[in-house]
Amino acid sequence: MDNQNILIVISFLFSGFSFAQEDSTSQKKEILIQEVRIIGVKFNEIKTPDLQQQTDKVLSEISGVTLIKRGNYAQEPTIRGLNSGQLSSTLDGMHIFGACTDRMDPISSYVEPNNLNSIQLNLGPTEEQSTNQVGGGLNFKLLKAIPNAEKLFSGRIGAGFETNALAIQSLGSLQYSRKKWALSVNGIFRKANNYYAGNREQILFSQYEKYNVGGSFTALLDSFNIIHVDYLQDNGKDIGYPALTMDVSFANAKIISIGHEYKKDSNRIYKMESKVYLNFIDHAMDDTKRPPETVPMHMDMPGTSRTVGFYSGGKLRVSHKQFIQFKITGFQNDLHAEMTMYPPIGKEMFMLTIPDARRSVIGLSVSDKLYFGSNINLSIGGRFEFVKSEITTLLGRQTLTSFYNGNPTKTNLLYNIFIQFEEKLGKKTMLYFGIAKALRNPTLQEMYGFYLYNRVDGHDYLGNPMLKTESSWNGNLGMKYKTSKWNLNGQIYSYFFKDYIAGRVLADYSVMTIGGKGVKEYVNLPSAILYGSEFTLEWKPIHKLLIQSMNSVSYAKDNDGDALPFIPPFKSINAISYDLKETNIKLESIIGAQQKHV
Amino acid sequence: MKNIFLAMFIASISLVSCKKEELNPNPTVPIAPVIVNYTTLGTDTTANNEIVTLYSLTSEIKTGYNKTFITVKDLSGIAITNATVVFEPLMDMGMMQHASPVENPIYNSDIEKYEGVVIYTMSSLSGVWTLGVNVNGSSVSFGITVLESPTQVVRSFTGTDGEIYIITLVPPSTWNVGMNELEIMINKKTSMMSFPADNDFTAVLTPEMVSMAHGSPNNISPVLVGNGHYKGTVNLTMTGDWRLHLELSKAGVIINTDAYLDILF
Repeated sequence: MDNQNILIVISFLFSGFSFAQEDSTSQKKEILIQEVRIIGVKFNEIKTPDLQQQTDKVLSEISGVTLIKRGNYAQEPTIRGLNSGQLSSTLDGMHIFGACTDRMDPISSYVEPNNLNSIQLNLGPTEEQSTNQVGGGLNFKLLKAIPNAEKLFSGRIGAGFETNALAIQSLGSLQYSRKKWALSVNGIFRKANNYYAGNREQILFSQYEKYNVGGSFTALLDSFNIIHVDYLQDNGKDIGYPALTMDVSFANAKIISIGHEYKKDSNRIYKMESKVYLNFIDHAMDDTKRPPETVPMHMDMPGTSRTVGFYSGGKLRVSHKQFIQFKITGFQNDLHAEMTMYPPIGKEMFMLTIPDARRSVIGLSVSDKLYFGSNINLSIGGRFEFVKSEITTLLGRQTLTSFYNGNPTKTNLLYNIFIQFEEKLGKKTMLYFGIAKALRNPTLQEMYGFYLYNRVDGHDYLGNPMLKTESSWNGNLGMKYKTSKWNLNGQIYSYFFKDYIAGRVLADYSVMTIGGKGVKEYVNLPSAILYGSEFTLEWKPIHKLLIQSMNSVSYAKDNDGDALPFIPPFKSINAISYDLKETNIKLESIIGAQQKHV
Repeated sequence: MKNIFLAMFIASISLVSCKKEELNPNPTVPIAPVIVNYTTLGTDTTANNEIVTLYSLTSEIKTGYNKTFITVKDLSGIAITNATVVFEPLMDMGMMQHASPVENPIYNSDIEKYEGVVIYTMSSLSGVWTLGVNVNGSSVSFGITVLESPTQVVRSFTGTDGEIYIITLVPPSTWNVGMNELEIMINKKTSMMSFPADNDFTAVLTPEMVSMAHGSPNNISPVLVGNGHYKGTVNLTMTGDWRLHLELSKAGVIINTDAYLDILF
């Protein structure tokens, strides 16, 4: 992280827009992007917020989320500095795994505000969890077509321009809504040139181009049953990564799902939701656009990720004081990544960097929410999960023999439990605290990755199929205060890790990546600790003026006192926005302190 | 309508399981019966009226380690399986003549042939190769055209002890990405015509990806298994041009710091 980065963005947003938080508890947040109000089975009114911005921008304004920036595109979201292996990223409950070995393609890069309804953030195991993770996760909820809308046809078009990257965006959506069914399509095209930093310095290789199209079909079978068919396709190309030595020639995602929803408030099981899905990501890195003197050797680095899965879950009302939520999830993810290097003389070299690894997961989550009186509620829940990891091809197994000669197939049983307590102290104040014990399986990259280069520490990483389960005790304590003018939320949290997964230097290994500093292997560190605090403030002194401040600080170290990677130090986002008729004026500053604990 | 959930659930499970079978190719590749196509290099009859036929595994003979087969029959066509067979390769360079290391043939009843090894240390560009086959004391001779191997798989060097040695790669059927068994052979030149196996070496193996100047971990240096053969394990982390650096010692004294062999796959 550089010294102090102060970035001031002035954006004129047509139509007023502010994030509303809905269905939020202390450890679970939902950030609405496009509001869909449901009145009975009649849907109406879609607000038109600022759909021009990148998903990254939306994420960066969520308290607890920090983005790791490698370019002007596809920044990697982390929650409280936890890494992607400790978090789950899902799209409408569907598991999707990026195909890029350099983590250039987080899930957030394949969705656009234009096709999102909301973003759910979980800060640990909660009722919403769909896989075993120690650090919670993000769920991007897709916008659905709405039958029985006020207008038969409704639509929206928009165009935008950003000066600092000479970027253009055009977006549009169209919905055709009948009484019993509806079809909607939406699309966005973005093209950005090189980004200009604050001092008018051009950041080379920060360009990108993409289009994203989504289609949604909804059918009301009767008053209680709804069928959804959703398709999303995102095609990015010529995406520059100034922080890396390579760019991305293309990053394509195809995501399809069929789901069923059942809602009947008078039933004991008053809500059921099920889905089957399939997604495929195809990604290729590219060094051909870089000046030849910066490319010691031309390489092709394509990768694919394919996931099939399902989930099914529901909500059960035991009494008006007790609600049980359950969900069974299963998915299978196949990862393949390869590298072909072309030396100036001699034969090309080929290797698998993710040697055709597969993960199969099936698990059951159950939670129970209890209300004691009108002021106290308690959530207790847990999840059991079976995980199988394996290598599916002969070439993959041969590759693995380079560093591991045992059976590569590993199975694991995981669980987590959580308890969260909330108590209202009077009408304006709420106190909350919770503890959770969570386990996670090592990722396929951590188990089987083969010389995956990490540009942050300059090391090639070797996987380790012998990695043990990482576990964490996680605690949180906080307080909320809300009036018509003020909204304050302060929280402290800590994670005590056991068998924390991190890289350890293999001293006498020769580095494969040209210019690399060494080779690391994933190992389990005996313990690690992460703790921090978040404080958010919203103040509406007068009707049209909103002052927001989000502040977070975190600190982490392992058992030897060494810093953990990617832990954001102090961060503060402060914004003033003012509604002026149809125009919203927003002044925002983001301050990030330098991480000195490294 | 209530059954929709159940139907979806069943559909989802069956979809996942169908996919699983489809995506899961049988991980154990069945071992096909090995069909070896022998190339006949020539047939000749010894003074003792024994018909000798010479075979190789490839139509082209290249420098390095070559498995070589013969059959011996009497004039009525009945195989003779108990003959004493000796390979006598000869390189005629005009000014001088020399032989090369061999492993003399032994009858292999499975393939009904005598099976041995000839190491051609240079290509036919340097002179004329003939392979003499001595059956029970009586020789026949075959002209052999030896092409240069694309990589250095055999090397002759003068050690720090002043002796001349031949080091040869015993090639596997294929090289794979990952761990591979590595076998080499070392012979000592005691005269122009005599190249006995040398069992006194210790070797230190360091593979290198030449184009990128990196190595690989977890290699096991070759150790003696007998008859001048040394076996170890080489880790080829990717395809391409690999150089197997070999530091060779005898009784603790380094004979050659880098008697490297090259492979390409």
